[in-house]
Amino acid sequence: MADLVTLTINGKTVQAPPGTLVIDAAKRAGIEIPAFCYYEGFSLQAACRMCLVEVEKMPKLQASCTLPVAEGMVVKTESDPVVKARKSTLEFLLTNHPLDCPVCDKGGECELQDMVFRYGAAESRFTEIKHHVDEKQWSPIVFYDAPRCILCYRCIRVCSEGMGVGALGIVNRGVYSEIAPSHGDHLECDECGACIDICPVGALTSGTYRYQTRPWEMKHVGTICTFCSNGCKTTLGVRNEKIVRGNNRDKSGINGEFLCIKGRFAFDFQDHPERLTSPLMRIDGKLQEVSWAKALEAVAKKFAEVKARNGKFGIVGSTKTTNEENFFLQKFARQGLGTNNIDHHRSGDVVTLMDALAGRTNALATVEDCYQMKAALVVGADLAQEHPLLAYQLRANFRHHNARVYTVTRGPVREDQYSVSRVRTEPGKELEGVESLRPMLSQEPELLILFGSSIKGEDVRRLVAFADSLNIPVKYICLVDYSNSRGAVDMGLLPDLGPGYQPVDNPGLTLPEMMAATDLDVLWVVGANPLARYSLAAANAFVVVQEMFLTETAQRADVVLPAASAYEKNGTVTNVTGQCQKLTAAAKTMGTKPDLEIMGLLAKEMKLNLGIWTVQSVFEQIRTQVRGYNIPLPVVATGQAAQTSPLNGRIPVISRPDLIQSASNTLFTSGSLGRYSKKLTSVLEYPGELYRP
Amino acid sequence: MASKIQEILGSAAAIAKGMSITFKEMLQPTITEDYPDGPAIFQERFRGAHVLQRDENGLEKCVACFLCAAACPVECIYIEAKENTEQQRISGGERYAEVYNIDYSRCIFCGYCVEACPTDAITHGHGFELASYNTSTLIIRKEQMLAPLEPGKKPSVVLDPAATALAADHH
Ligand code: SF4
Ligand code: SF4
Ligand code: SF4
Ligand code: SF4
Ligand code: SF4
Repeated sequence: MADLVTLTINGKTVQAPPGTLVIDAAKRAGIEIPAFCYYEGFSLQAACRMCLVEVEKMPKLQASCTLPVAEGMVVKTESDPVVKARKSTLEFLLTNHPLDCPVCDKGGECELQDMVFRYGAAESRFTEIKHHVDEKQWSPIVFYDAPRCILCYRCIRVCSEGMGVGALGIVNRGVYSEIAPSHGDHLECDECGACIDICPVGALTSGTYRYQTRPWEMKHVGTICTFCSNGCKTTLGVRNEKIVRGNNRDKSGINGEFLCIKGRFAFDFQDHPERLTSPLMRIDGKLQEVSWAKALEAVAKKFAEVKARNGKFGIVGSTKTTNEENFFLQKFARQGLGTNNIDHHRSGDVVTLMDALAGRTNALATVEDCYQMKAALVVGADLAQEHPLLAYQLRANFRHHNARVYTVTRGPVREDQYSVSRVRTEPGKELEGVESLRPMLSQEPELLILFGSSIKGEDVRRLVAFADSLNIPVKYICLVDYSNSRGAVDMGLLPDLGPGYQPVDNPGLTLPEMMAATDLDVLWVVGANPLARYSLAAANAFVVVQEMFLTETAQRADVVLPAASAYEKNGTVTNVTGQCQKLTAAAKTMGTKPDLEIMGLLAKEMKLNLGIWTVQSVFEQIRTQVRGYNIPLPVVATGQAAQTSPLNGRIPVISRPDLIQSASNTLFTSGSLGRYSKKLTSVLEYPGELYRP
Repeated sequence: MASKIQEILGSAAAIAKGMSITFKEMLQPTITEDYPDGPAIFQERFRGAHVLQRDENGLEKCVACFLCAAACPVECIYIEAKENTEQQRISGGERYAEVYNIDYSRCIFCGYCVEACPTDAITHGHGFELASYNTSTLIIRKEQMLAPLEPGKKPSVVLDPAATALAADHH
């Protein structure tokens, strides 16, 4: 490492590596230099002139956001000329900026407001009338109020560099300059809302949150996004038990401030008018509202009766419920009902990967690895659509570290913009494409392999064997669909594997087998919608469904128990890379109960002894009983991600690759749940299909 | 003996002095108020029940900025904001207070809300007959606080007849 440069900032001696910008060096020394256009991680703009500092021996004030540190430099950030310059800059910014803080959404958390409060003049010397332009709506998500815009270009950069979309640009000149969307008067983009959150002022506002409340009126609850498997932390703003906004401005979590449209805006399923708020029971052929006591009693009676006569149960778990719920469900099935007929929608061959790696725990990548590793190979997945955070991390890795990215996909993907090599293959022929990259891949110092659901069974083993033959360190990510798809496998929602990939005696029925069994007595579905894909052969089966909405499966049910959503419960979920994170209840829907509580009450009603079913005690059981989940409590409790490593040997079962099928969600779809987000469905008209030509 | 005479004279003088004040006051104008038989009279800056003001067009001045609620030391102001639309304009700004409640069982009439308001919407009126046997009636809603429309001004809310009927049902 090169020698550190020593400089003085406000009389404080500071050391920084050469090439560091003065603004960053100051920040690291705990000295804040205000800036609007400068944003860590994106290209330099030097447009706002807020970060001017005084540097000894330099005749004029310098923009510290573009000035690299130099040996012996003496910098002053709060001297009189600097403060005067800031005051003037602010006065200029306010020439056309309206003084409508009382109605502006950003009021209370606006960077311009803060700066004017700190440095600004109380009065303006301008008497001219402010230039006004009407507000524009660019999409169901994004609104733009040009007069409030201070032309910092942050939105443009986050969209083109961060998201790789490039939907925003600038038009006109001087005071008439404005940000403009890609398609004339509207946006066709990811609708991620990153531009809205990064805007230092209230020029960009969101269709969900605008003019609803004020930042200090909300309760801010950090939890994990319930849509895809990437496990972004989203901080929900809650007022009166209603979620009004989602963002992650404090950059906590594995995603920093990244969120896609689902994490930022699709929380609105939580108070969808069709949410179930009372248990339903089929009486006289029709689903009718009944009390919890009556519904639980009916279910418990039926379960006990079928168990007593050794009848056939079929249990379908969820890829969105918590680890605690999944663990308790399989315990209920195996110990309580004495059956191994338990399964879930499988969307990636984690089992074979775990087996093929045979205990190499250091071969499992984290989200951070997508940003750090020197080379990455994407096989059979449209990352920008299906795994937005991983795509964002790879893009940032390329921007900051020049990562070399290879893609082997069916159609064009966004990673093509910067990948060193792209191979198009037929589905099922991906490995031939991978093989063709061998000469280049073997030159890499290390490699991260991300593979989708088309690589399964023997193909996973072949992929691992191929990577082994490269003789370089390789890490893997087996892509799965939903927020706890990975946790569902780890917790043993499988007919042949218990928690932590422990094989069970007498494997039970798989999901399609349950659906096809004409003699099935009970089908118990917890937070899944199997009837969207399969039909139920057993006409007389007693169907119990724990759901938020009257899905296809719930419509067929004999008893429907209204479940709380992921934003209404506590627990943990495990993301695609095996990182376990904590859910914190943000809101409440009257009448619903978390699935864990429903199952606990059922166990009590049936007088089963399945142990205490509070979140804490079940999590403790997971920590002690599930291989690889002995994760440090403080890490999880403080809202950070704890890496699990649920393997340390071979798994002697066949993973049934035929059952692995991804839902292939795009940015704007998310299985059954996505249908109940008005925001998500409102943008369906915009491009969002996989492998867009 | 002498002391007895002195005592009588002293008492007489005291009575005369007292009565002189009484007779003098009888000739002065009355300052007693007749409330509740007559109207109560206030200093102009008396801080009584709040009034939400309207602008010169009859629109509500309140833009639901929540600053009054933030300033209120007892947190008795509750607001729900909503956006004005082309069809239904209620305030002059982008948004208006769809709900604006003050809980008079907590308000201490400090006037901080009035100080904080950037649009001079919330003001203290002179209303003071606020006593009630039921605390739930002490939560005063926006509709009860809004200044009446000047004659000839259109109301800002064009109520949908169905909604009005529904509201009437509830009373
Ligand atoms: S919403 Fe996202 S993709 Fe769309 S313009 Fe803003 S930053 Fe770009
Ligand atoms: S809209 Fe916001 S982020 Fe974009 S240039 Fe204007 S002020 Fe900056
Ligand atoms: S990338 Fe996935 S986890 Fe992150 S916000 Fe989007 S849907 Fe949620
Ligand atoms: S007068 Fe004082 S206590 Fe009453 S509402 Fe206003 S700020 Fe609150
Ligand atoms: S009364 Fe005034 S301070 Fe209170 S919300 Fe309305 S405009 Fe804001």
